[in-house]
Amino acid sequence: MVSIITEIIIYLGLALIGLGALADLIASIGMHRFKNFYLRLHATTVGTIWGAVFPIIGASIIAFVYEPLGQYRFLMGGAGLVTALIIMLLAPAGSHAIARAVHRAGIAKVVPCVHDELNPEMCGEKQ
Amino acid sequence: MDLVQSVILVFLPLYLVAIILYLIRAIKGPTIGDQVLAIDSMTYDLAALLIVLGLFFKEPILIVTAIPLALWIYSLDIYIAKYLDRGEMGG
Repeated sequence: MVSIITEIIIYLGLALIGLGALADLIASIGMHRFKNFYLRLHATTVGTIWGAVFPIIGASIIAFVYEPLGQYRFLMGGAGLVTALIIMLLAPAGSHAIARAVHRAGIAKVVPCVHDELNPEMCGEKQ
Repeated sequence: MDLVQSVILVFLPLYLVAIILYLIRAIKGPTIGDQVLAIDSMTYDLAALLIVLGLFFKEPILIVTAIPLALWIYSLDIYIAKYLDRGEMGG
């Protein structure tokens, strides 16, 4: 019974790691395909939440039940879950801070723009 | 080589290709915001890659390197945002 649960946890963790690898690849292609800064924020958040938080959770739940890691496997699992929580809290906060600062400093124009109430001069052409 | 190692070995090149594409955008990004975003994504993916490599090499102590990477990249975000907003560092 215990070995069946172990197998299920290992397959679930490997699926999360593979999902994270695919999301990383999609986000890094999106960093090149999107046109300007405000659109690339979307690719960044895909790459951080889907591409970093999920594989870390998968690797952590594998580490709890994976015998060849030795006696430090509970350290790896617990610290991995803490790392996933830290990234899930800090990545959106950092993205919002850098987006607000770039808009207030007037570095990148808002290109697919309908109306910009914060600063009408930042509004680029419509597309 | 058991199941976990062989499956991770399949997914490792995807992480490496993603990191290289992020690095290209971080070098040639048109504005400083793009560079910071690219370094941001690259470092979070590097943290995930280090934990996955810890499973691959059966070295649990590699988990220690992930938490300082996550905290460091958040401090980079906040410092750059504050510098662009007010034109000063620190504080």
